[in-house]
Amino acid sequence: MPIQRVHSFLVYPAKHAEEQPEISGTRIPRRGRLYVMLTNVFDRARDECDIEIVFRQGEGGQQQNDCRDLLMAYAQDPSVRNGRLLASRLQVVTTHRSGLGLLFLMKGARDGNHQLVISRFPADQGVIAQEHAQQLSVEFIERVFMKSAKAYKSALYSSDSLQRGFWDGRAVDRQISGPRELSDYWIHDFLASELRTTGPAGTKRLAVALRSAIRSVEELGIRQELISAASLLRGQHGRRRSTRQMLEQLGLSRPAALALEAAFPRADLMDEIFEFDQEEFQRHAPYRAVELDNGGLLIAEDARFAEVFQQEVLNLADKRVRYVTEGRVIDESLRKTK
Amino acid sequence: MTDPIEEYRRRYEGFLQAVARRLQGHIESHLEGVPNIERVTARAKDPARFAEKARRTDKDGHAKYDKPLTEIQDQVGARVIVLYRDDVISVVSVITRYFQPIEQRELVPESQWAFGYFGQHLVLPLPRDVVPGDVPLNVVPRFFELQVKTLFQHAWSEANHDVGYKSRAPLSTDQERLLAYTAAQAWGADRAFAELRSEVRS
Repeated sequence: MPIQRVHSFLVYPAKHAEEQPEISGTRIPRRGRLYVMLTNVFDRARDECDIEIVFRQGEGGQQQNDCRDLLMAYAQDPSVRNGRLLASRLQVVTTHRSGLGLLFLMKGARDGNHQLVISRFPADQGVIAQEHAQQLSVEFIERVFMKSAKAYKSALYSSDSLQRGFWDGRAVDRQISGPRELSDYWIHDFLASELRTTGPAGTKRLAVALRSAIRSVEELGIRQELISAASLLRGQHGRRRSTRQMLEQLGLSRPAALALEAAFPRADLMDEIFEFDQEEFQRHAPYRAVELDNGGLLIAEDARFAEVFQQEVLNLADKRVRYVTEGRVIDESLRKTK
Repeated sequence: MTDPIEEYRRRYEGFLQAVARRLQGHIESHLEGVPNIERVTARAKDPARFAEKARRTDKDGHAKYDKPLTEIQDQVGARVIVLYRDDVISVVSVITRYFQPIEQRELVPESQWAFGYFGQHLVLPLPRDVVPGDVPLNVVPRFFELQVKTLFQHAWSEANHDVGYKSRAPLSTDQERLLAYTAAQAWGADRAFAELRSEVRS
């Protein structure tokens, strides 16, 4: 049986509250439909939790993290008491915007590792219909908790060591692309964690792979797509996504995506989520694109841009410039497509 | 149950040395353009030293590591050696841009009256970029240790390791004092160069 213990806690929004509401908690029996549903959550956590995270170091730089301490205490002794400490931690960072939530803590084992899954379902409203002796009663209820809710959040930790393990994990936050306040609530505030791959690291990897793919690909159409992608990616600044998700959004063709994947150190890194950093991308960008208000678009290798296009300032106040370039036309398809 | 020491040896021979080589290149690429970097090195822990560490016990005689393959965080280690003390700060600043540390400490002797080991130690997530594509991620250490030191700090710790740790008999008080004296000299040299550099620049 993979799940050994499950606890649930009702967590109120009490960030900045002078008095913290009492947190009700209970142990969930390992039978019944709720347990079956939670087993499903526990088993699917590996697929659903796609954001790799690590706990932050202590304030003095030591290898200590308050949230991890609570997590380890619960993993070592999964009790209502230890679970409530985690629930309290969640409660003090929960705003009214996030609202009331039901927290589930699931401790079990899988593939020789201890596995801990933490899930939060937000409260929703619903209607309950019940039949009683040929009569139907319909009632409005305010505390419905559904796994399919948009704001579903979860985190998964797995390790064979209950002493020094659990420093990294995986999380899912269905609101990750939403406002920063909400996306920070689960990972940054509650889990006291950061993305395992920093924005600059993920962005640099993407820029370098893109440069390498553009140089190595032979088919002009694919190269053209990758060059366009390099230009369009700048608009992703601050977004937390995987490279694959970004490419899908840009509508990159499969051959172009495969060419980029081949330039990655490992194919699975295409799915690693990071926060795109425009400044870092610019630093390693393979191509620089300049768009003029007359519709003109100039693209050249970043390192050689100034050499390829000589800029002449016509009117400094009006920011009017003239670009001059000279060369032999070796292909016109890029111009036609544009 | 797999013997962790044997398993480590298998991993060392199978892929950890390749991971360390790649990590060295990876760190070098991040530090491109950073001045005064003397060298960057990375290594996978020698199996004999891993075995020695895995068998360590605490003062009560209990095994220090219950799960050595998970709990020993310096299976892969890297080192950046720089010329001046200020360069340590520059390197750490670049490194923490590309890695999310779970530990970052400046190791100094406990008392201002004592001299010994100095250096910046960081524990960082091992980037997947350095893991060969055919190696499953669940057998690769999740973290690695990075040391950032000046040339003098490095020279002292290497010589101290050679002389101090490899001594057949415990060092005498006088010998320990001599080691502390060399540490003080290394500290003084770093300090002198920092001051000289500052004066020359101003």
